[in-house]
Amino acid sequence: MKTFPARAIFAVVCVGMLSLVIAACASAPAGKPSAGTSDSAWKPRQLNTTVSGSGASFPNALYQVWISVYTKNIAPGVTLSYQSVGSGQGKKDFVAGLTDFGGTDSAFTSDEVKAQVPDAIHIPTVMGGVLPIYNLPSVTKPMRFTPELLVGIYSGEITKWNDAKIAAENPDVSLPATDIAVVYRSDASGTTSIWTDYLSKVSDTWKTKVGKGSTVKWLVGIGAPGNAGVASTVQKTEGAIGYVEVAYALGDKFTLPFVKNAAGNYVQPLLANVSSAAENLAINDDVQQLAHSITNSSNPQAYPISAFTYVLVHKDTYTDATKAQAVVDFLYWGLTTGQDAANRLGYAPLPDNMRQAAIHALHAVKVNGQAVLDAPIK
Amino acid sequence: MNTPKNYRWRKFVDQVMRGSTVVATGCAVIPLIAIIGYVLTLGASALSVQFFSDVYQPPNMAQAATDGTAPAFDPNDPFAGIGVPTDGTAPVDGAAPTSDVYAGGPVGGVLHGIIGTLIITGMGLLFALPIGIFAGIYLSEYRNERYATMVRFCCDVLSGSPSIVAGVVIYILVVIRTHEFSAIAGSLALMILMIPIVTRTTEEMLKLVPESMREAARGLGAPTWYSTFTVIIPAALPGIVTGVMLAFARGAGETAPLILTVLGSNVITTNLFAPMASLPLLAYRYTESPYPGENTLAWGAAFVLMMLVLCMNILVRVATRRRAGASR
Repeated sequence: MKTFPARAIFAVVCVGMLSLVIAACASAPAGKPSAGTSDSAWKPRQLNTTVSGSGASFPNALYQVWISVYTKNIAPGVTLSYQSVGSGQGKKDFVAGLTDFGGTDSAFTSDEVKAQVPDAIHIPTVMGGVLPIYNLPSVTKPMRFTPELLVGIYSGEITKWNDAKIAAENPDVSLPATDIAVVYRSDASGTTSIWTDYLSKVSDTWKTKVGKGSTVKWLVGIGAPGNAGVASTVQKTEGAIGYVEVAYALGDKFTLPFVKNAAGNYVQPLLANVSSAAENLAINDDVQQLAHSITNSSNPQAYPISAFTYVLVHKDTYTDATKAQAVVDFLYWGLTTGQDAANRLGYAPLPDNMRQAAIHALHAVKVNGQAVLDAPIK
Repeated sequence: MNTPKNYRWRKFVDQVMRGSTVVATGCAVIPLIAIIGYVLTLGASALSVQFFSDVYQPPNMAQAATDGTAPAFDPNDPFAGIGVPTDGTAPVDGAAPTSDVYAGGPVGGVLHGIIGTLIITGMGLLFALPIGIFAGIYLSEYRNERYATMVRFCCDVLSGSPSIVAGVVIYILVVIRTHEFSAIAGSLALMILMIPIVTRTTEEMLKLVPESMREAARGLGAPTWYSTFTVIIPAALPGIVTGVMLAFARGAGETAPLILTVLGSNVITTNLFAPMASLPLLAYRYTESPYPGENTLAWGAAFVLMMLVLCMNILVRVATRRRAGASR
């Protein structure tokens, strides 16, 4: 019994020294953002490895630019590939362990994480908006939608474009008597999950009758595959309405409509308005709970159908340390330097608190119990 | 000789029927001509030196590069030259926020896809050849065995099954177990599709070799294996080569099995155990892109692919004609 205190002290000292060593290795003060670190302080490691990912099509343009600059000029030894196969497929590939990272616009629910990939971390990378697109050749001014109109149209209650409810919101537009042809995504899609998440938030009827998810049981309409499929179906069908992500609406020259937000303002899905949806967001401390729904935000300028897009990484099941380093270095670079590219490409960059939370989450990635990232939070 | 009473009526019926068969033939050819014409007009605009010599370029960056507006790499501003900074402010009246990447023409190329297609299909053929040719020999030289009838039937079922099935099988057997999309998995999927083609053409070609040649070889005391390898196969070789080329053409044009097995890539890779690019996959993915430039690249890839298959078919024709001429 006499030796016990000595042993305890020894143990405490050991733990203390060990934690010092680990802290020195990681050189990352966990949790506390250390402001004022300059760009030159940290550089991605020059690794020689191949990393592959697949998933959401929405952030594809940004990721490809990141990859191009990163692999040409920053870390030439790394071969990175991201294939835009859709959020649903990206999640499936990631769960099956076929890719090193996944891309998705629709986060796993915490139940799904527990059941399928207990160590998945959602790293938000950038933000975007989903908007209703329509084909009404006689209408030249941007249409104005309210949550009630969108729910009404997608529930099949409003069936004609010259319905009194639509006309009431669009007094200066001469609406045709065309039937409304509703178009939805036929594949499992992050866009659908953002769209239905929004409709569920603004309508209890929708929530109970249809609900939210990457595929739902639609009440009316026809399906089309992919953002591109919805856009082209709407383009070909007079009187059609569909929903796509902003990049696709711009690509196919659709008019950006106004949507009434929770504060009662009519806003277009522009970058500033999408950014505004994430302002003053209370972020969960748990690194595995970084997925936040920001649809129907109460901020006055917020575009209501906005969302984060995520990269999925493993918390502690990477076996190849070099690959894991390449993944987190690339994402860290994307979350810091790479955010400059977002604005230029038509994406809304993350707000600072979310960006720091994302970097904090990257620090949680471990191989054999060792943190992989050695960069500061900034 | 009297003309029959209803001669004119019969002549009329003959002309109508002959006319309708000609029209039907025309209708059958229209889709082919339409497809070739459509792919030609839309794909030809994508063809350039860069199309064959360059790999994927993100539309935004490459746009700047071709405009000459892209400055040399600057570590402090790595994205200089991409689009126009919008500072998060409004594109007015719903206009595109960046320097219009949406209006741009095709940029970058499909060299990675061409190389990938050749590697994946070539490997697939390499796997399929021994199996297919030996199976074909068995079916032809031991054609009356019950097992042969069974194999022949299975072969026909396999050649008629949708190609996505081959993809799913390899996805479950190989991709899921190795935890990796890989070029080799794609080759295996294509192998499944190629085997029945090689088998059946080999069998048919060997069957065409006159029985008298087998009898002559046997009469001179040659065992079956000797006569098969030195007499029968050489006689049927051009036909077998035809089957091999057809199998290659079939494999090169397949998209569905590759979606599930090779995933695709944007760079040139020669690692058989990693995702790889291929032409049909590029055409498929680029079609879905929001950028018109990439849509044009998709047509270009479709055009190259079609030319590849067409050339294969023409080569097959030439090869078979020469064989027919030689045997006469």
